[in-house]
Amino acid sequence: MSRNSTQWTQKPKLPSTHYSDPVIYSDPEIFEEEKEKIFKKTWLLASHESELPNPYDFRTYDHPGGTKLVIVRGEDMKIRTFINMCPHRGNLLVYEPSGNSKNLVCIFHQWAFNGKGECVDIPREKEGYQDRLCKNDVALREVRTETAFGGFVWVNLDDNCGPLKDYVAGALDYMLPELESEPLETFWYYQATLNTNWKLIHDTNSEFYHDYLHYHNRITGMLDPKSGYWTRRLKAFPNGHAQVGTMQAKYDAYEGGGHSKLGWPHLPDGWKLVDLYPCITLNLRNSVLRIDTYIPISATKMYYEFRALGLKSDTPEIRRQRQKDAAVIWSPWGRNLHEDLIASEGQTIAMAKGSESMYFIAAREEDAGCQDEVALRHYLGEWDKRMGRSHTNPLAKPAARTVAA
Amino acid sequence: MSTKLNGNRVDVEELIYQSCMLMDEKDFNGFLGLCDDGFEYVLTAYSWEVKKDMIFLDHSKKELKELFDLLPKHNTDRNPLTRNAVVYKVDYDDAKKQANVISTLQVYRTTQDGGRTGLFAVGKYHDTVSLKSGKPTLVKRHVKLDTRDLGCGHHIPF
Repeated sequence: MSRNSTQWTQKPKLPSTHYSDPVIYSDPEIFEEEKEKIFKKTWLLASHESELPNPYDFRTYDHPGGTKLVIVRGEDMKIRTFINMCPHRGNLLVYEPSGNSKNLVCIFHQWAFNGKGECVDIPREKEGYQDRLCKNDVALREVRTETAFGGFVWVNLDDNCGPLKDYVAGALDYMLPELESEPLETFWYYQATLNTNWKLIHDTNSEFYHDYLHYHNRITGMLDPKSGYWTRRLKAFPNGHAQVGTMQAKYDAYEGGGHSKLGWPHLPDGWKLVDLYPCITLNLRNSVLRIDTYIPISATKMYYEFRALGLKSDTPEIRRQRQKDAAVIWSPWGRNLHEDLIASEGQTIAMAKGSESMYFIAAREEDAGCQDEVALRHYLGEWDKRMGRSHTNPLAKPAARTVAA
Repeated sequence: MSTKLNGNRVDVEELIYQSCMLMDEKDFNGFLGLCDDGFEYVLTAYSWEVKKDMIFLDHSKKELKELFDLLPKHNTDRNPLTRNAVVYKVDYDDAKKQANVISTLQVYRTTQDGGRTGLFAVGKYHDTVSLKSGKPTLVKRHVKLDTRDLGCGHHIPF
């Protein structure tokens, strides 16, 4: 029997940890609060060291908290991050997404800054400012930066945050052999503008029940009793992170997939996945490491950043094969990625604010198997702690924030 | 430029335009019928962020056919695409009896629900066309996209 409005919108008869009020996926005020309480307080993956291999290389990063950043490799080879803003009149210092420049020079009035963020030139400084202001007064604002876990560049806008390692809390330990076996190199970076809420993407990455969406994953894993698909286990870590155990995908079952046997050092034909709070997924599958990060720009719109990495030592032939392997499932034409993205947009269309949406169910319990939704619940629990709100009753007055940066 | 093969210009242009029309109509067998047995299809986009060409599709004729054959098994964006190509340049290689053809490309997407049309992508076709027989055939198509942000993407090649 179908349901009337009251029945449709009533809370499910489930523990409150097992469902969400859909408003958390569409409310603009909640989104603004997320920027302050989540994005500005957590370590985020901003780049990879291979994207700025040489002294004076730079790379921009649109921080989800709303701040434009520029990551710079100094002549001392250290990678530092600064707010991408000239301290004179607030202009962007760097317009291009990447490049090389001994100094970052503002186009507006030619103020110049070195790789340590120090101001090294102000045209006609004495004539204009006499002794009232000098170069030492106008250095760039540096942002906490660490290069770690396979050469990724991590940033945190909170000057008082703890170390990255404490934040990751062991969630990446089981992928470390693969991340640190030899230097990695980014070979794809592209973005996709999606009309969806950023948490819905992470929700999808947190469970494998949605393999019913993917013909490729069903035929190469879920339907193959030898793949180890059903014995994979989800494991939760502090700070909202989660990981899923490996399996052996049977790529040959997907005719025309073109997947090679190239594999990855220490993981010849496997699959490991780690979700880091709030918006990072490291997905090592067959011969390619895919990194998902998101730049939310409103409650219902985001830029999805995709990276694919291989080994720095790849020959051109091997690199082309890695790209081919990645393309089958993960390029803009990838069989799986396209399906994930149309589903996430579909959720946002259907659950739009004012749509009379029902509560969002995250209640599967399968002994932490890959189709359990325990990682999703763990993620929402971390959201509660950081926001001082309950995802089941988010519009109640927020409690004091309880989580340290 | 060769004068010998200039007479093929109209045939070459028709081949490019026909390839677009057949793909728009999702007549994949018709499209493959325009292709040489050794046909190669590559789609790339240059990433300004990492200063590298990204290969997003890389298929032989056989692999392309397999991709087309499996489309019904996938969940996919069913909104139709419209490809608009304009042949800009045809260079003839008399020795190989081939033409190297550059065409600008715009791809539009029209929603089934409401009929709204939006620009989906821009780029160029870099085609190699065999002129060995009376009927020109595609030997290679390299789609070089300027657009990299393709939203949800698509399952059907350009």
